Amino acid sequence: MAAIGTQELQSLVKPDRIHRRVFVDPAIFDLEMARIFGRMWIYVGHESQIRKPGDFLCTRIGREPVILSRHADGSVHVLHNRCAHRGSKVVTQECGNTKRFQCMYHGWTYHTDGRLAGLPMQAEEEKDGFDFSAPDFGMRPVARCQSHHGFVFANLSPSGPSLVEAMGEARHAFDEFVAAAPDGEVELAGGCHRYEYRGNWKHQLENLTDTYHTVATHASTVAPDGTQFKRRTGTKGTDVQFYDREKRPVILDVGVTVYPGGHSSTESLFPEGQSGGVWEEYRALLAARHGIERANELLTQKIHNLTLFPSFDLLVVQNAIRVILPIGVDRTEVRIYPVRLKGAPEAVFQEQVRYVNLTHSASSFVQSDDLEAFRRQQEGVESDAQEWCLATRGQKRERYDNRHVGHGDKTTEIGQRHQHQAWLDLMCAE
Amino acid sequence: MTAARKRDDVAAASALITLEGRLLDEKRFEAWLDLYTEDAVYWAPAAIDQPDPDNHVSLFYDDKPTMRLRVGRLRHPEIHVQTPASRTCRLISILEVGGDQGGDGYKAISNFILVEYRPGFEQRLYAGTYEHRLVRKGNDLKISWKKATLINCDAAFPAIALPF
Repeated sequence: MAAIGTQELQSLVKPDRIHRRVFVDPAIFDLEMARIFGRMWIYVGHESQIRKPGDFLCTRIGREPVILSRHADGSVHVLHNRCAHRGSKVVTQECGNTKRFQCMYHGWTYHTDGRLAGLPMQAEEEKDGFDFSAPDFGMRPVARCQSHHGFVFANLSPSGPSLVEAMGEARHAFDEFVAAAPDGEVELAGGCHRYEYRGNWKHQLENLTDTYHTVATHASTVAPDGTQFKRRTGTKGTDVQFYDREKRPVILDVGVTVYPGGHSSTESLFPEGQSGGVWEEYRALLAARHGIERANELLTQKIHNLTLFPSFDLLVVQNAIRVILPIGVDRTEVRIYPVRLKGAPEAVFQEQVRYVNLTHSASSFVQSDDLEAFRRQQEGVESDAQEWCLATRGQKRERYDNRHVGHGDKTTEIGQRHQHQAWLDLMCAE
Repeated sequence: MTAARKRDDVAAASALITLEGRLLDEKRFEAWLDLYTEDAVYWAPAAIDQPDPDNHVSLFYDDKPTMRLRVGRLRHPEIHVQTPASRTCRLISILEVGGDQGGDGYKAISNFILVEYRPGFEQRLYAGTYEHRLVRKGNDLKISWKKATLINCDAAFPAIALPF
């Protein structure tokens, strides 16, 4: 890999614009895999997906295939999915339950915490003095693994801030999301939506903080009365209003908050809390635990989504998470998992599942047009006709508080600028 | 069931499902909607052996109002993911007709291959199984339930704009 120097990287990010090269240069992508996905906390799965000893699932950290597993003693492990012997990928199933992982090539087997369990004709080698208990002969654990409310993040780098430190100020919104579960816990249930596009992973990342695109990109989802298709049941807080009676695009009023570390959140598209129907049953359950005032506060979502740089997104109003998996400089996979709020009525979860089908499946009303945007963006930046992608909106109106939390009002591009800066800081760290 | 009745059912199911495929390929979406009862469900699971659409995500899980919304969106001038629009061609092969539902309905199972071409994009290929529940409404046969299971329904997909 040809090294890209700090000066060169700095020349690609200006306060209000980013160079097209960051979306198209394979050398930049390689460096991102090393300095961003190789050093940051990357989401790998939720503990509820590996409930029983022996449960496992396979995913990736950047380009690195890994296994998230629950060992016999209940401990959670993240292992590189690679045989210590000849380097083969060990597990090819997406998920399952097993007593041991076995490499198909020469039959080396590993415990679900990565330690070597045995290998064919082991005794001969041991006679020759080999000590197979050395860590070199196990499946290598990923350097660090920590979880927050059961969401497991792993870090390929042994040093650096803890997960909670890395989340910093963004953590509060994460905790509020989980607090909306009457039992105070969440779990992943209901499978996942998967979509992919021919484009750079940062198109999706930037889109998560983009409150300016909705009117143009999602025009086909808006009814003549100015509301979007009905998303939720109940009597209030059920529709997203795109235009008011004067045809003003009120959907563009939502602001963006940015937190140190490249994280961001966007304001809720639903100014009113959801009420009526099963939501009253849900409110009563929350009130029984927290009191009615707090229950009402939890049900009036202030945040639409919380994006943890570089690849994790909490869809707060939809009770789902989104994970970005870069494949190559111009290829990206994204997964959306519904989250069950434990203790909430079943009907609430089922409504969220239906809702996320309409908004975030590959065949949804909303995401499909975003995917079209990502692809066209990639096609556009592959041309060198113009060097820069602009993120100028709302620069003069953004403000930061003394905790370095920033806020931008309607149609601001503070989120993208903030992500670009975090990207640059990480990329320039040798 | 008499052999003659069975033959009639097979012929009627075959005609209806073939017509449905043609209406979709010809983008006659409003006529396509008319093939469905008002309480119909159109379901495309997102997992093989997915037990139900309520507790697990699906590629499509539409009731009739949602199907109408989808068609409305397909007719919207600013549906970017269909600008330009796809062309599709499907081959459907009826496998099995049966399961009389109290004399007013029955089930049909078929396999399908669907080829989609959108100018500027690589041609895409889908394959899977349709399950239709058909009900007799007077002289008409209508679709009350359709499940389209792709062999790769749990894969990561580029945007999908058209029903299977």
